[in-house]
Amino acid sequence: MHRATSVQRERAYVRGVTTPSQADLDPGRDYPLATRRPELLKTPTGKGIDELTMEAVLAGEVAPEDLRIAPETLRLQAGIAERAGRPQLAQNFRRAAELTALPDELVLSIYNALRPRASTRQQLTAIADELERDYEATLCAQLVREAADVYERRHILAS
Amino acid sequence: MTTSARRSKRTEALEQRPVNLDGFVEEWPEVGMVAMESPYDPEPGVRVEDGVIVELDGRPRAEFDFLDQFIADHALDIEATERAMAIPAVDIAHLLVDPRATRQDVLAVSRGLTPAKLLEVVKTMNVVEMMMALQKMRARRTPANQAHATSARDNPVQVAADAAEASLRGFRELETTLGVVRYAPLVAIALQVGSQAGTPGVLTQCALEEATELELGMRGITAYAETISVYGTEPVFCDGDDTPWSKAFLASAYASRGIKMRFTSGTGSEVQMGNAEGRSMLYLEIRCILVTKGAGVQGLQNGSISCIGVPGAVPGGIRAVLAENLIASMVDLECASGNDQSFSHSDLRRAARLLPQLLPGTDFVCSGYSSTPNYDNMFAGSNVDAEDFDDWNTIQRDLQVDGGLRHVPEAELLAVRNRAARALQGVFAHLGLPPITDKEVEEVTYAHGSKDLPLRDVLEDLKAAQSVMDRGVTGLDIVKGLEASGFGDMAHNLLAILRHRVSGDLLHTSAILTPELETLSAVNDSNDYAGPGSGYRPSGARWEEMKRLRHVVSAQNPEREVG
Amino acid sequence: MADTGTGTRRILRLDERGTAGPGGRTDEVVLGLSPAFGDFFTKTIVDIPHAEVLRELLAGIEEQGVHARVIRFRGGSDLAVIAHAAAKLSGSGIGVGVLSRGTTMIHQKDLVRLSNLELFPQAPLMDLDAFRKIGRNAARYAKGESPEPVPARNDFMARPRWQAKAALLHIKETEFVVPGADPVELDVRFQLADAG
Repeated sequence: MHRATSVQRERAYVRGVTTPSQADLDPGRDYPLATRRPELLKTPTGKGIDELTMEAVLAGEVAPEDLRIAPETLRLQAGIAERAGRPQLAQNFRRAAELTALPDELVLSIYNALRPRASTRQQLTAIADELERDYEATLCAQLVREAADVYERRHILAS
Repeated sequence: MTTSARRSKRTEALEQRPVNLDGFVEEWPEVGMVAMESPYDPEPGVRVEDGVIVELDGRPRAEFDFLDQFIADHALDIEATERAMAIPAVDIAHLLVDPRATRQDVLAVSRGLTPAKLLEVVKTMNVVEMMMALQKMRARRTPANQAHATSARDNPVQVAADAAEASLRGFRELETTLGVVRYAPLVAIALQVGSQAGTPGVLTQCALEEATELELGMRGITAYAETISVYGTEPVFCDGDDTPWSKAFLASAYASRGIKMRFTSGTGSEVQMGNAEGRSMLYLEIRCILVTKGAGVQGLQNGSISCIGVPGAVPGGIRAVLAENLIASMVDLECASGNDQSFSHSDLRRAARLLPQLLPGTDFVCSGYSSTPNYDNMFAGSNVDAEDFDDWNTIQRDLQVDGGLRHVPEAELLAVRNRAARALQGVFAHLGLPPITDKEVEEVTYAHGSKDLPLRDVLEDLKAAQSVMDRGVTGLDIVKGLEASGFGDMAHNLLAILRHRVSGDLLHTSAILTPELETLSAVNDSNDYAGPGSGYRPSGARWEEMKRLRHVVSAQNPEREVG
Repeated sequence: MADTGTGTRRILRLDERGTAGPGGRTDEVVLGLSPAFGDFFTKTIVDIPHAEVLRELLAGIEEQGVHARVIRFRGGSDLAVIAHAAAKLSGSGIGVGVLSRGTTMIHQKDLVRLSNLELFPQAPLMDLDAFRKIGRNAARYAKGESPEPVPARNDFMARPRWQAKAALLHIKETEFVVPGADPVELDVRFQLADAG
């Protein structure tokens, strides 16, 4: 996560530059985002959160994919968690940001592959490679590689 | 002997007391049948080399089991650990109890404490000191409560009506589960629909096998998840078909869909599953708490939970259960603090088990209160059920303590129960699910439990449940069904809950939605307790509401009752 | 409490016949017994003799014209593991797992391990009628039918009374686990003994 200095943050704020990747949010001022900073919230399909109205739902303009969180939003929330003193929660949100790109079935299959004695070392390595190559999911890939090492040492890989 | 031939009348009276139906066993520390004082728990200790923990509680890194490694690499703050571990346990306990030390002061230390050290800290504390500490360490300033809504016949109509009543009574979260797992989609839909007929903003979950629970969540048929179990020894974790890494991945999976979740653990599960490795119940539970922390999950349901009969049967067990709630809170996790399983045949004992969480207040005092009579509770009964509502409200009023509930006049309850059932009738019709008859709606409005209800065609329901999964029905379809059947306000509330996924605000520690559909969490409602006169105290409109009971004599006209 | 009502007592004999393999016939249900069932332990948590438990399960299966095969799972004492292992060895894909204390589960080989077709988690509530019905339903699943599940009984006061004893029983059962051991095929014989 890009951490601007307070001076940079101040300038960005003054100039009204609030693209999510640059915004460094203050938990006390900006949270909850839905009420305090709704302009920062977009669905992965590019809709603003205010566009998700009942009228739009009934007109068939809202699909299930529109009710998902965007990776940028998760990174904003990671910033808030970090500043609230919760680094592990922030890291979880960053891994989650990576997983937004994966289809549901793939997420479920990776979870199942991480269960004890479910995968060989090669299979876990292949998953990590896929995460990195196809989804730029480096944090998740790291978690899977770490699992492969531990599973090997503790004898809970598939034989 | 003559003494055995003739029995004391008093002994006979005592033998008849319900407490003697409870099971009690001797301690057996060698297999872990001991609450928190075991000679076989490790000594606290930590060693850091080149920014890596190389020794944890006396075990060198090469011998770490997977929990040790996960805790060392993900849960503990490596910068803080050696300094924190150097502080004597009793000094840390003083920090916990002293109101002049802030919650943040404690967190600065607790972030570096190992499992054995956390155990050593709470071992210096009695239950009153633990309650003092919990009052300060609870993450969210405002306490809340969670209910179970289940049916012995998995009857969705009943679940919808009880969910509506529970939400009107004040519960902010509702949980269901099944007798027959395949019923899940229909019952989860019923819970989601019913919960919005009472007070808006109630979040719902359905306890299932991990992958299925995630699928229902992803579809928006449930709003959050809780039954993500973690265990304190490697063999039991593997018996649960998971590892800290699979669970950490699952945590990220939920967050990636904007879905709130917490893990579940509790004292007694390892000894119950026969693999406690000779450690005390609390030591193993502390490992679970730190795995949760390390996974980056915002919260934990603990307090023995489904294993309460195990710590409940050994000396000091309920003290250990309070200690586990305290430790979850003192490492900055949301704590849904148990009191959710049948615990005792004795009403006295049930209340005594409840007070350590109710008095200090926790994020969710019960992690489920049974909103049905216990015979319908498919979590095998709760410590408190629908027949205890008036007792609970009275205890709140007596002690001026906020347990999250309120008395609601019968007419209002009947109205929301009826409305929930009619709304579900409409949604089922909209989705082409087996019909709910007007007779069922009528009966459930006035019912206490499933025994008062007409039977449903179970096979048709199960077929329909499968079709919900096959057709890919989502929360959005429920919104449309509510709107189409004339329940626009409920549709609006449910859409608002689904829309909260887009913001991610509910992913933060201890988040709930207020009846105004705004997020309240440890970020914007952080616990500021600092001794007498500070922190959350029921006052104003909330206290006025808490004063109302079923029967209160009017001061204006003592011939009448108010409320 | 169980009353066999016969005035006589059955003695259970379980003889091991080597490693259990996958079944060839599609009309079978495999019953997976826990490591100490009918061995160190002889009765459930509420004193129902294991001989009667097994007899009812087998009778339930056989009355549906389905073949039953009994194995002992030695590698673990977790019910889901035992039931799933039985299902995977079953020619029909349907297995039943039963623990010494009486907890029982019907499983199907294609489900994930922690799911199940039917679960009876409260051992103190298991009576002979329930075991018969479980056998019957397992057989009907094996025939490709969709039977109505055996009504789950629920006694919310079983936990405070029995849970800690159940834990002690489970610890004892777990002492008989042989890690990594293959399941073994069992010959089941019932002998009548005078109840005296």
